[in-house]
Amino acid sequence: MPIRVLDNHLIDQIAAGEVIERPASIVKELVENSLDAGAQCVDVEIEAGGVRLTRVRDDGCGIPEHELALALSRHATSKISAADDLAAITTLGFRGEALPSIASVSRFEIVSRHVDAERAASVAVDAGNVGELRPAAHPPGTTIEVRDLFFNLPARRKFLRSEVTEQGHIVRLLERLALSRHDVAFRLRSAARTLLDAPAGGGEHDGNRLARVVGQDFVSRSIDVDHSAGPVRVHGWIGVPAAARATSDLQYWFVNGRAVRDRLLMNAVRLGYRDVLYGGRQPAYVLYLDIDPTLVDVNAHPQKLEVRFRDSRQIHDFVFRAVERKLSGTRPGVSVVTPVQANDASYRLPLAAGRDEVPGVWAMSSALRGVSSDPLPQVSEPGVPAEFVATEVVRQPLGTALAQVHGLYILAQNEQGLVLVDMHAAHERVLYEKLKAEAGRVATQLLLAPVTIELKVDEIDALLEHQRQWAEAGFELERLSPGTVVVRSVPAMLPREDIAALVHDVIADVATDGATHHLDGATDRLLGTIACRSAIHAHRRLTLPEMNALLRQMEVTPRADQCNHGRPTWTQVSLQELDRMFLRGR
Amino acid sequence: MKLTATREQILAPLQSVIGVVERRQTMPVLSNVLVAARNNRVNITGTDLEVELVASSEAQVQQPGDITVPGRKLLDIFRAIPEKTSVTVATDGERLSIKAGKSRFTLSTLPASEFPVVEEINSQQTLTLSQGDFRRLIDKTHFSMAQQDVRYYLNGLLLETEGKTLRAVATDGHRLALSEAELESKAKNNQQVILPRKGVLELQRILGGDGNVDLAIGTSHVRAQIGDIRFTSKLIDGRFPEYGRVIPANPTKQVEADREILRQALQRTAILSNEKYRGVRINLKADLVTIQAHNPEQEEAEDQVEVAYQGDEVEIGFNVTYLLDALAAVDTEKVVLGLTDGNSSCLVRAPGAASSKYVVMPMRL
Repeated sequence: MPIRVLDNHLIDQIAAGEVIERPASIVKELVENSLDAGAQCVDVEIEAGGVRLTRVRDDGCGIPEHELALALSRHATSKISAADDLAAITTLGFRGEALPSIASVSRFEIVSRHVDAERAASVAVDAGNVGELRPAAHPPGTTIEVRDLFFNLPARRKFLRSEVTEQGHIVRLLERLALSRHDVAFRLRSAARTLLDAPAGGGEHDGNRLARVVGQDFVSRSIDVDHSAGPVRVHGWIGVPAAARATSDLQYWFVNGRAVRDRLLMNAVRLGYRDVLYGGRQPAYVLYLDIDPTLVDVNAHPQKLEVRFRDSRQIHDFVFRAVERKLSGTRPGVSVVTPVQANDASYRLPLAAGRDEVPGVWAMSSALRGVSSDPLPQVSEPGVPAEFVATEVVRQPLGTALAQVHGLYILAQNEQGLVLVDMHAAHERVLYEKLKAEAGRVATQLLLAPVTIELKVDEIDALLEHQRQWAEAGFELERLSPGTVVVRSVPAMLPREDIAALVHDVIADVATDGATHHLDGATDRLLGTIACRSAIHAHRRLTLPEMNALLRQMEVTPRADQCNHGRPTWTQVSLQELDRMFLRGR
Repeated sequence: MKLTATREQILAPLQSVIGVVERRQTMPVLSNVLVAARNNRVNITGTDLEVELVASSEAQVQQPGDITVPGRKLLDIFRAIPEKTSVTVATDGERLSIKAGKSRFTLSTLPASEFPVVEEINSQQTLTLSQGDFRRLIDKTHFSMAQQDVRYYLNGLLLETEGKTLRAVATDGHRLALSEAELESKAKNNQQVILPRKGVLELQRILGGDGNVDLAIGTSHVRAQIGDIRFTSKLIDGRFPEYGRVIPANPTKQVEADREILRQALQRTAILSNEKYRGVRINLKADLVTIQAHNPEQEEAEDQVEVAYQGDEVEIGFNVTYLLDALAAVDTEKVVLGLTDGNSSCLVRAPGAASSKYVVMPMRL
């Protein structure tokens, strides 16, 4: 076959392959256009999973009549005009590809009325053949109707999944979009059914919108994050470790309002959860990154799912620290869901705040219930001010120990009811955090005979790339031959462990996530093991003062809600729950 | 089987072998001891499948035979019987009856055929040395053996023959102890075997009397006859590291100190060292050693010892336990420390031509 230039129609169809993968892609492109047009209300209607019909109606600025035909030609856009604009993109779209691509693979009709125009106009396109401009009736805004997707491309049509699956994709996509703009109303209908109805909410953090999209459960078990540094701000919600899920389905990232699934950002969050998550559990979060558009390149992925940061290392650390710092506050007595407007630096103790207002009442009721840690002073020293007693009790969110249950759990009572503490898990976390705080400069034991480890050449390359971190952790590594590495010294704290196995484990870590924090992780794991071994074991008899001491330590230990394997350390059985068990007060 | 003996004639051998009998066992027969009576002697055997001990004593045997009975209970019974009592021990069907004065005991038994015994060890050569020398060899090295290391060959003591010398070496990868003793006659061939930790500790318990030890070295076992006790142990099948390379040949800096004074100073300082890794910092100046330690609570200890040293100032860190172990094992009044720099090993030995050497790797603090 001779070489020749393809005709425009074919070019459009090929381009459509990149942009339009399935009906959800159409919804994404059209709704993003609506948002870029400043719509306050976006209405999506689909039929047969979006294959037979996808209609998007908005109340945006609309398109003037004379630009309507132009909008349908390739590389025509109002969003950017010069190459410099590419460096600071503030709109969701910018390539000018969506409309012609969609129009080339479907029966397409656009009706639009510019805000300043007297009337609306419409253009129909049939598989790329642009029809005539006709007058139409339409309120200000744009409606785009896409029918019979891929009717002219049977090859692609074959790759569409079932209607239910395609519809699911659209629902999830619209949920993501709904989370990206809390101020815009979204509605999705299929036939007569409403699949999503999110009325416009107030402000950038709307709990109602969040609850509507990801469920009330997440809202009640999440912590507010808002942290900014210079041109970067990360805000949103992260789930408490106990709300972690088996899959990564509740992980939303928005960069400047654009939904992304960026590896760097996701990895940073996962690292923040490093030592509070149990086994292979996945954190749940909805996070927004606001960043100066010149510091990020969104033109890096055909579907714009990944972005490139000018300084990715810094962004990674920034996000990691924001999440880690917030999670380190998860300890008994610290309210899990902080008020929306709470500023990042302060953790509020709602108990303390609430009690201060009515100290007398509190002291009275606690005395009546016998909750007070030490009721004796009230009897023998009636002069003790009520406030004093109140604050004493309030500072003990885990209450006072009553007994040890089967040598495994501590039974305590606080003002809400019963508290059960897994004593080993709790002590483990207390020791672990202490060890982490102490670990600064590591004492290193030099080995009499170095340990030789045989590895693959590229594994050693990867290993030695982080030689400095290894040295900081106390390991002196040296390459003996391309395939052998010797360990000349180990951290003195390291109990006589299998050094070769440890090195292998860390290498496996590097291979799987490629993160640079793996050595910290290894040291933390090491400290974790030490903590686990030195923590009190089951069936160790504890006296009440010992138990109380452990409770008090937990209250001041960061991340004390979870042991370092991510298991919960304590749980609350409220008086209401106890009352319910005994059908009391019914 | 039927025999009569005094309480002591049975108790003594029983006490010698009970150390290897484990109280908790997955194989019930291993918590038993084998009692064998013939030729007017009674042999009592205990084993944990790694170390086997056989102790014998005189007794009047009316009817020869072999039987196994629970070891701990047998020991407790004989301990509780009044001294010098004559005891009759006899099998009674599946049971063993013990009569001492007015006391009667009946113990359960298991057949002797179920009891694992090491018959022949295929001895390749027999070494002879005095019990005292052998005991000293173990005393001076055993503490450096590793415990439950994945490098299983370190969990034991290397015994090496070279001409008229028997050498013991132990290392845990952080420090090493080496000691030599002289044999009665030249060894037939130069050989290396690794005696497992448990065997070493049992030997240490048994050795100490007068007279000689005959140490037979087989392919997978060693066997020693020590008075009335026969000790048999499996060997660790593995290659011991080449210890010769890690012993510094000529340390450039030699420190001579009074051993006891140095040891006490280290012990005092160690109180405030980190409990996990027991690090102490040693500063060496002309004729003066300063020892410092501090712990995570920021408590500090410092001590000074006058020594004979001419050379540059050196600062070096150590796990103080390793140094103390070595200093305790040297038995001369003075001790010589050989150092090169803060990152090289330290050689501890008695002045002059020492038969024992200790190598301790430093620690970076």
